[in-house]
Amino acid sequence: MDYPRAQTDELKPYCTKLSMFMEGGVPFFSLEGLRLPAGCEPQVCDALLCPVTRDNYPSRLYFSVKVKSLYDRNWNCENARIGEKNWFAFSWKVEGANLTLAQMLMAHLLGFTKEK
Amino acid sequence: MTVAIKMTGRLYDEIRRDLERPHPFAHERVGFVFGRIGTRDAGGKLVLLTRYHAIPDAQYIDDPTVSARIGPEAMTWAMQAVYHGRAAREGIFHIHMHGYAGETGMSKTDRREIPPMMPGFQSVGRDATHGIIILSLDHGSGWVCLPGDATLVPCGNIAVIGTEVKVFERGRTS
Amino acid sequence: MTAERFARQSFLGADAEARVARVTVGVPGLGGGGSHIIQQLAHIGFQRYVLYDDDVVEESNLNRLVGAEARDALAETPKLHIAKMRILSLQPHAIIRGYACKWQEKPEPLRECQIVMGAVDCYRGRRELEIACRRYLMHYIDIGMDVHGDERPVIGGQIILSSPCSPCMTCMGFLTAEKLAAEAARYGNAGGRPQVVWPNGALASTAVGLAVDLVTGWTRKNRSYAYLVYDGNEGTLTPSKTLIGIEKYVCKHFGDTDLGDPVSIPL
Repeated sequence: MDYPRAQTDELKPYCTKLSMFMEGGVPFFSLEGLRLPAGCEPQVCDALLCPVTRDNYPSRLYFSVKVKSLYDRNWNCENARIGEKNWFAFSWKVEGANLTLAQMLMAHLLGFTKEK
Repeated sequence: MTVAIKMTGRLYDEIRRDLERPHPFAHERVGFVFGRIGTRDAGGKLVLLTRYHAIPDAQYIDDPTVSARIGPEAMTWAMQAVYHGRAAREGIFHIHMHGYAGETGMSKTDRREIPPMMPGFQSVGRDATHGIIILSLDHGSGWVCLPGDATLVPCGNIAVIGTEVKVFERGRTS
Repeated sequence: MTAERFARQSFLGADAEARVARVTVGVPGLGGGGSHIIQQLAHIGFQRYVLYDDDVVEESNLNRLVGAEARDALAETPKLHIAKMRILSLQPHAIIRGYACKWQEKPEPLRECQIVMGAVDCYRGRRELEIACRRYLMHYIDIGMDVHGDERPVIGGQIILSSPCSPCMTCMGFLTAEKLAAEAARYGNAGGRPQVVWPNGALASTAVGLAVDLVTGWTRKNRSYAYLVYDGNEGTLTPSKTLIGIEKYVCKHFGDTDLGDPVSIPL
């Protein structure tokens, strides 16, 4: 699955290292050192962006730790094993067709700062 | 540092079929098999073999003093394959077969000729694992150079994940 | 141990005991299904095990946990301990590496197995195990059972063999996006699912039979995939209809890039 260079370049300012891998036919973007919105604890962590539909979510952002934020979230995905590491994700659906990768990422990070 | 090798039954059968074919003048056939690295317990390593390259008949050199000698074309191909496999950290293994049963090791000629290939592979594919595999009729032995280490480490076992499962263990005949 | 020990399984082949003894089997999960599996493996002569379970025996397990006794529920004996004792009572020289955690918390030992036999209780868990088995080249044999319906209960289940280079659980129509999505939507509402000993036994026995065939080849079927559907009400095991035509199918879900430690491509 190919994503335009312009889209992947847009992700780079948000993290210290960006890479990609496929697993079981599904693409994952690895964002090492992703800076999280203000009010999050920790402020920086690793994340995986899955830009395709998986497990009832049109896209999903997984985190290397359970992040504390302004609003309590339902961390309904714990220790999901992807890329031989364990990841966490909270329940947050990002709808909308044709989002760029950066738009998708921002929409997921809104989950930390938007009440609902 | 413990190392083990795994391959699928399908790959093992493909390798055996090729290595057992007669060659116009060489007594043995040689091939290259590629592998990716996996981490096992206590820092040990696994080599997962992925695909096999049969060396064309024309790329052997007719040298009656040895069982088989491959020519510069075959080596160039191998080096290029290592180069192209760098991003995937895919390494290369020289593989051939001894036509007897039981655990096998490197012959005097093998020890003289094959280990000197490793530094070249390592210089091109720095982050990959390279090495040597020798099969027998019912066993197999392997030696591996891990990234950044020129030492050839003997493998504890080679497992064939097919139908049937085979486990060739160092120090135990089949 | 004398040759008499295995005299009744000589049909498996003259060197079956040696073959079985060299294979390492991983069993993540030592509950109702896993406890049956390890007992049978030990009976047959498997010597090398990698086991995982972070749970202890509770009273509700006693209806199905093979090897557990009433006092184990009182003592809250770890299921890992029950499994180890069961294996060692049959194979005193067995090499058992046991981990009182989920396999995902310490995955490296599992990678040394040639066969993994899973009795996990969710689709996501199965998917994760299958991915690990494809990455590190292991046969994966999965079993599971469930009971549906209150008025007229129906017992269902499956045994699946997923091997490298062969159709995976998605190819075989077992793992589907719909099942995974439905399971994700139910998170936290699973509750205690009905589980009883005899379907576990039927499924575990058939799974162990698949494992023995993989090691000894005694049936000469060279079977590298299987999906058997269990009907607990009828007492039958039949190949899934989703396998029709699958022998020509090439798995598109796993390829060479999925082998070994993940390698990310820098962007």
